[in-house]
Amino acid sequence: MSRTSLPLLLAALGWSLMPLLWQLLTSLRTAEALVLQGAGAWLQGWTLDNYRLVLQGDPPFWRYLLNSSLVGAASTGLTLLLAIPAAYGLQRQRPALRGALSLALLAAAMFPYVLLFLALLELARALGWGNQLLALALPYAGLSLPLAVLLLRAAFADLPEELEDAARLEGLNLWQRLRRVLLPLLAPAIASTAILVFLFSWNEYPIALTWISRADLLTLPVAMARIAGSSVYAVPYGAFAAATVLGALPLLALVLVFQRQIVSGLTQGAVKG
Amino acid sequence: MSAGAQPHLNHRPRQRGLAALAALLVLLFCAGTGLAGPRPVEVSVLMPAPFADATAPLVAAFNRDHRDLQIAVTRGPLDTEALSDLAISSLLLGDTPYDLLLMDVTWTPKYAAAGWLEPLEPLLGADALAGMAPGAQLGNAFAGHLWRLPLVADMGLIYWRTDLMRVPPRTLQELRDSAAQLEGRGVVPWGYVWQGRQYEGLSCVFLEVLRGFGGHWLRPGEEHEPALDSPEAIAAARWLAGLVRSGITPEAVANVSEADALQIFGAGEAAFMRNWPYAWAELQKPGSAVAGRVGVVSLGDGTQGSWGLSMLKGSAHPQQAAAVMRWFTGEASSRELAERYGYTPVWQSLLNDPQLQQQLPLLPVLRQALASTALRPLTPVYAQLSDVLQRQLSALITGSGSPEAAMAEAQRQSQLILQAAGPVA
Amino acid sequence: MTLLLLLPALALAAAVFLWPLLRYGWLSLQAHSVLTALVPVPNGGANWQRLLADGRFWQDAAQTLRFAGLSVGLELLLGLSLALLLHRPLPRRGLVRAVVLLPWALPTTVMALGWRWILNDPFGPLNGLLRSLGLPAYGFLSEPRSTWLFTVLADVWKTTPFVALLLLAGLQAIPAELEEALRLEGANAWQRLQRLTLPLLAPYMLLAALFRLAQALGVFDLIQVLTGGGPASSTESLALYAYLNAMRFLDFGYAATVMLGMFALVLGLSALVLVGQAMRRRWAAAGLTP
Repeated sequence: MSRTSLPLLLAALGWSLMPLLWQLLTSLRTAEALVLQGAGAWLQGWTLDNYRLVLQGDPPFWRYLLNSSLVGAASTGLTLLLAIPAAYGLQRQRPALRGALSLALLAAAMFPYVLLFLALLELARALGWGNQLLALALPYAGLSLPLAVLLLRAAFADLPEELEDAARLEGLNLWQRLRRVLLPLLAPAIASTAILVFLFSWNEYPIALTWISRADLLTLPVAMARIAGSSVYAVPYGAFAAATVLGALPLLALVLVFQRQIVSGLTQGAVKG
Repeated sequence: MSAGAQPHLNHRPRQRGLAALAALLVLLFCAGTGLAGPRPVEVSVLMPAPFADATAPLVAAFNRDHRDLQIAVTRGPLDTEALSDLAISSLLLGDTPYDLLLMDVTWTPKYAAAGWLEPLEPLLGADALAGMAPGAQLGNAFAGHLWRLPLVADMGLIYWRTDLMRVPPRTLQELRDSAAQLEGRGVVPWGYVWQGRQYEGLSCVFLEVLRGFGGHWLRPGEEHEPALDSPEAIAAARWLAGLVRSGITPEAVANVSEADALQIFGAGEAAFMRNWPYAWAELQKPGSAVAGRVGVVSLGDGTQGSWGLSMLKGSAHPQQAAAVMRWFTGEASSRELAERYGYTPVWQSLLNDPQLQQQLPLLPVLRQALASTALRPLTPVYAQLSDVLQRQLSALITGSGSPEAAMAEAQRQSQLILQAAGPVA
Repeated sequence: MTLLLLLPALALAAAVFLWPLLRYGWLSLQAHSVLTALVPVPNGGANWQRLLADGRFWQDAAQTLRFAGLSVGLELLLGLSLALLLHRPLPRRGLVRAVVLLPWALPTTVMALGWRWILNDPFGPLNGLLRSLGLPAYGFLSEPRSTWLFTVLADVWKTTPFVALLLLAGLQAIPAELEEALRLEGANAWQRLQRLTLPLLAPYMLLAALFRLAQALGVFDLIQVLTGGGPASSTESLALYAYLNAMRFLDFGYAATVMLGMFALVLGLSALVLVGQAMRRRWAAAGLTP
C-alpha cells in the first residue's frame, strides 16, 4: 500500500466511525456524566442502564428488529418481483418509449417522498391497511420501484443479446430464460438493488409512523421515537444512543455480508441511460 | 418394508384424525363459552410515552377491577409534535381507532374547529371543572363548549440556587439584577437559562415576560386583535433580547430547549432557570450536581401548559369513554399521580392537602402559581400566531433587528392571520 | 407482450407517485383548512397567488437551494476522494467498505439526534475538543449565519458513502489498460485523473449529482430534529414549511400548493442540469471544449 494511502484510509474510517463511536460512548454514560467536564469526568458515570432501559421495554426490543426485518423482506421481495419483469420489458421496448419511460421513472425516483405521505395515508385509510405490517410493503415497494427498475434495466442492458437468443433457440420460454440464464448473471445487480430497497424500508419513518400505531407492530425508527424520558420535555440522549447502537448492529452485519454485491452490482451498469 | 408394519401404519392416520376432531371440539367449546359472555368494552387512549408509562400502574389496577370496561393505552411518540402528527393523521379521514386523546392545551381550539372532538357538557355536565384550580380550568372550553378535562396542569416556574442567594427574586427586575451580579462575578457562566430555541417553548417564555410587564398577546375583550406592538410587548422583547446582549444569558440560548436548560442548570452552570415543574424531581436525583440546593418560585403569571383528555368524535362508546375520562382525571387518580410522579394536581382540594404537601415539597408553589396563569391565545390559528412570534423573537435573540421592528412585524403578521380566521377564532 | 411485463410495476409506481400529485393538484385549488372546518371549498388560484407572493416560500427555497448546492458539491468532492481511495488495493477491503457504508445505512432521525448532541453547546464533544485546545466554545446550532453549514455537515456525513459507491462503480468500469497506457506515457497521478478518470466518470457524477440534488432539496427530518428550522428561521427548508402548513397549521390546501411548488423547483433544476450537460456534450463534440 502506498505511503499516502494509510493516513487517508484512517481519515476516511475515522470520519465514518467517529459519530457512531461517540454514540456508543454516550450510550454507556449516565445522563449526569454527559455534562461533566474536566479530566476526572471519564473516571466515573459508566452504566449499562441505557441498554437495560431499551432492552426491557414492553414489547421487547428484538420485536422491533423483527418487525423491521419482516417489512424489509416483504418490501424487497415485492419490489424484485415487480421490478425484474418490468426491467426486462423496459429493455425490450423501442428506444423512444424506453427513453420516455426511463425519464418518467427517473423523475419519480428523485421525488422527495416525504411529501407523499399525506396522500398515501388517505389511500391506507380508504383501503383499510392501517396497523398491518405487510401492508407497509406496498408503499415501500412503490417508492422503491423506479430506482429498482432503472438499476435492473441497466443490468439487463449489459447482458449480451446472443445469450438470450441462444436460450430462445433452445426452446426455453420466457420464464425459463429468465430463471436459468438471465437471473443468475444478474445476481450482483439484484443483490445491490435488494440491499437498497431493504435499507430504505428499514429506515423509513413518516409512513410507518402514520400507518402503524399498535405497539407490538412498530418498526424500529418509529419505536425509537417512543423511547421515553421521564416527561415530555426530557430528551434521553443515553437511551437513544443505546438504541442507535443496537439498531446499527444488524445493519452492520448486513452490510458486511453484502458489501461486495453492492459494489459489484452497481458496477454492472447503474448508469446506462 | 415387512408386511407386519403395514397394519400399524394404517392405524396412525385414523388416530390422528380422531385426535384432531377432539381438539377441534374442545376449541369450539372454549370459544363458545368465551363468546357466550359479553365482550368487555374497550376504551382506547392515545397519550405520549412518558404519560403512558406513568399511568400504566393505574390503568392496570382499573382493568383488574372492572371486568366489563377495559382501558387500552397506546404509547405515542415522546415528542409533543410527533404525537400531534400521529393523532392528526389518525383523525384526517374520520375513522380513528382512538376514543380518547391526551392533548396539549394549545391544540384544543384547533381540533375543535376541525370537528374532531366531542363536546363534553352533554356527557359530563356543565360543572365538570368545578373544584379545579383556576389556572387549571383555563383552556378547556372554547366557542361555548367544553372539550377537554385536564389531567395535569403545569406552569412556567423560576428555579433558583439556594446556595448562591438567600431569598429568591420577586420581580423580573430583581431576577435580572441578581443574575447579572452572579454572572458578572463569574460565579456561574449562565446568569439565567431559559428556552430560546425557535419553537413553542420560546413563545411560552415570552408570554411570561410579557405578562410580567403587564402586556397581553391578544387584546383582552377583543379576541381578534393582537397587542404585540404595545409598549409593554416591546419592553418585554427588549428585556429578553437584553439578557443575551448583556451576557447574562449566553448566545447559545438560541438552541436551548427544556432538556438543554435542565442540563445546564443541573450541572450547576446557571443561577436561574425557567422550566416546568417536572424539572424539580429531575434536579433532586442522586446524580444531579445541585441536588438539595434548588428552590422554586413563581414570579406571577406563568404560562399554563396543561395536558388533558378529550373525546374524539365518532367514538363507538361515548358513555364509557366519558366514564374513563372522569376516572382518569378524578381526585383519586390525581393523588396517585402526584404522589408517585410529582405530577401537578388540578384539584384545589389536592393542592390544599397537607398530607400531599409532605410528599411534594413543591406543592405550595404550585398552588400559588395555579391561582393565576397566563393562557396562550385560544384560537384555531394559534399555531400560526406562535410561529410568527417565534420567528421574530429568534431573529431578535440572535442579534438582528430592533425590538420595535420585530414586534411591529409580529403584530402585522398576526393581524393578517387573525383577519383571515375571522369569526371562527 | 413485453409491455405487459411492465404493467404491474408501473401500476404500483403510478399509484404511489401519480395519485398524490393529482390529489395535491386538486387540493391546491381549494381552500381546505381548519378555518373551513376541513371542508374543501374551491378558491380558484388563490393558493397559487399566495405562493408567488409568499416571501417565506422564496426565502426557504433559497435556503434549501443553498443547502442542497453545498451538500451535493461536498459529497461529490468527498465521494470522489473516497472512491479513489477504495479503488486502490487495500487490506481488509470488505471490512473497510462496510464501515464506510455504515453512515448511510442508519436512519436519519436517529443520527440527527446524535449530531444534535455532538454539536451541543456547551456540553457536546466538539466544544469539548475546542475547549481542550484552548479555544472558546462555539454555538454550532445557535449562530444564524453558520448553523446551516452544520446541517450540511450532518447531511454530507450520511450520504457521502452512497455517492462514493456510485463513483466507485464508475471507477471500476474504467479499463485498466487505459490507465496503464497513460502511466507508461509518463503522466502523473493528477494528469491521469484529469485526462482519463474524470471524463470517463462524468456520467456517473451526473447521475449522482441529480439524485442527490433532488433528495437534498427535499430535506426534512434532518432539519426538523437538528434545528427545528431555526435559529432565526435560517435553516428552514421547503419540505419543513410544507409540513408545518399541513400538520401544524392544518392548512392542507396551501400545503399542497407548497409541495407542488417544491416539486416544480426540483424538476426545473434537474432539467437545467440535464440541459446544461447536453449542451456541454454538444459543444465538446463540435470541438469547443473549454
